[in-house]
Amino acid sequence: MELLVFVAASAMVLGGALGVILMRNPVHSALGLVLTLFGVAVHFVALEAHFLAAVQVIVYAGAIVVLFLFVIMLLGVDSAEDLKVDGLTIQRPLAAIIGIGTVAIVSVAVLRTRSTIAAGPALEASGDSNIRLLSRNLFSDQVLAFEITSVLLIVAVAGTVLLTRKQSGPTGARKGS
Amino acid sequence: MIFAGSQSVIAQINQWVAPTIDWHALAPELVLIVGINLVLFIDLSLGAAKKWAMATLTGLVFLAAFIPVVTLAVIGDASREMFDGRYVVDGYSLILKAIFLLAAYVLVLMSQNELEEGGYYQGEFYVLMMCSVLGMVMMTSARDLIAIFVALELLSIPAYMMAAWRKRDSRSNEAGVKYYLLGVFASAVLLYGMSFLYGTTGSTKLTDIGASLVDGDLLGLQVLAVVFVLGGLAFKISAVPFHSWAPDTYEGAPTPVTAFLSVASKAAGFVALMSIVMLALAPANSVVRPMLWVLAALTMTVGNVMALRQTNIVRMLAYSSVSQGGFILMPLVVIGTGNAGDSVLRAVIVYLLIYAFMNLGAFSIVIAVARRTRSGEITSFGGLFGYAPGLAVLMTIFMASLAGIPPLGGWIAKFNVFKTVLDAGDTAAYVLALIGAVNTVIAAAYYMRVLRQVWMAPAPDGDVSPIKVPSSIQAALAITAVGTVLLGVLPGLVLRFGDITDLTGALAR
Repeated sequence: MELLVFVAASAMVLGGALGVILMRNPVHSALGLVLTLFGVAVHFVALEAHFLAAVQVIVYAGAIVVLFLFVIMLLGVDSAEDLKVDGLTIQRPLAAIIGIGTVAIVSVAVLRTRSTIAAGPALEASGDSNIRLLSRNLFSDQVLAFEITSVLLIVAVAGTVLLTRKQSGPTGARKGS
Repeated sequence: MIFAGSQSVIAQINQWVAPTIDWHALAPELVLIVGINLVLFIDLSLGAAKKWAMATLTGLVFLAAFIPVVTLAVIGDASREMFDGRYVVDGYSLILKAIFLLAAYVLVLMSQNELEEGGYYQGEFYVLMMCSVLGMVMMTSARDLIAIFVALELLSIPAYMMAAWRKRDSRSNEAGVKYYLLGVFASAVLLYGMSFLYGTTGSTKLTDIGASLVDGDLLGLQVLAVVFVLGGLAFKISAVPFHSWAPDTYEGAPTPVTAFLSVASKAAGFVALMSIVMLALAPANSVVRPMLWVLAALTMTVGNVMALRQTNIVRMLAYSSVSQGGFILMPLVVIGTGNAGDSVLRAVIVYLLIYAFMNLGAFSIVIAVARRTRSGEITSFGGLFGYAPGLAVLMTIFMASLAGIPPLGGWIAKFNVFKTVLDAGDTAAYVLALIGAVNTVIAAAYYMRVLRQVWMAPAPDGDVSPIKVPSSIQAALAITAVGTVLLGVLPGLVLRFGDITDLTGALAR
């Protein structure tokens, strides 16, 4: 059963990921991303990380990809846009070689490490232990990093508004250099 | 059922122990956060005519954040640890915080006129800059993979936007997009490596990771983790072969942003690299050393050879900054070999400090001259001595210092690096030192080419009216020139940093 779930979820993740990069239509790519994120959520459930699974579905599959879709639809990306334009002919084969090489190296490393890897810290048995462990970690050891991410939100808001603003700036003056 | 649930929650509240927070140790970060909000809100209510006040306010915030750094340094030498040793304020982090705040202050001075005259958004620029500096200041104290990653993103994301700040200029847009795409890719690679490290050691704390890795018996995944982590960080410090974004981004971005990227952002990358390599990856030396060796040798050589061919001064400084990064990498290669252990930190930190002074100085001159010539070509510096002797002399100081000519600061920096590498005393180190020496000579060639234009060539368009240098740039020039010369003449000022072998938890094992 465990193996079955694992294989199914992994197939979702990999299939979705391939779909993201291979689909011509950006909307299809975004839907492929949903599939990948759902697959990761299934993995989380299989690992009994129920809270993370819920967050994964609500935040990533739910909110973020829907935002992607909104942007794609609002911008009205032309599905016939030619992505085949290529600067250097050597780039694509080179990218393929590097990609396949990385996959091979990581696979070998994982397979060779599999039996020797130490078991992670044991989880408490009760149902909400995940949330408790997570929050305890987040609000004690990692609290500073957690708080600082709020500054990142300021950065995101301020920067995005500025970069996308239509008006030509406070004075509109510009300089040649 | 509900009652039982709520009772267990109450019981858990009683178990909860809040983390102790050392407010004094966190003061520099807190001052910066308050400053960010202050500038953001005051900027809202200011008319366009008064935007200049934002630069002054930002400068004051940086100076205010400097005060707790000084008091912390004066009060004691014991390190202050928070969150179970995940955030540490010690001598190492205090010195680096001081470097970042000082560089940020000089950068505000450099940006002010450029932003006012270019018609850029000003308040928001300084807000983003402060956020980035906050990330750097946190990076110096972060001793945990998560904290390091958050700090790295906090310092990078504003920089992506600042690189595209010249919105109407397609080259600035290109600079921003290139930097952003490659930066995000590098972050992903770094995170991938970090996840392997966490997965195979069970901790995100650097010292715990260091304790879990076993020298000579690394798992395959751990080797991969080290390679990915180093690769991700190599992008930040624009080490060859991860440097391809640097020249285009540096050229397209507004010049003060270029200075920011090449000095502050790069130094922060080195800080992350130092913390991770020394605390977490010390037992993985057999993987780290060869990789850093190759990175250092390639970075120096390729950066220099490319710099030789540039005709644009900003592009030349970009490649020169790539190659200087190679020099800063050199001491990191010899961590834990021979007698080099103790002086590695000192060599890197002294280099970062002096490099900040001389590179910011060189960029200040470029900004001052480009205000009139409106050109980035090296030939536009022709005849500078004739009509602006002050700038010419200063440019000579900075270029000679970058080339490593005594008695200027750059010489002390390079001297320390070479001494550290030679102290390691094995063949690999000697070969690396030899490559470094050859590169020093190559580097001198292109720095001298600029000076030949400055002193010997005639003014390109015959315009010899004196340059008017704005007072803020004058101040920036004064600070950087004094720093460059003083550290060269009195190296004892910074060589005391040698006492900071106590990168807390490191090298003690």
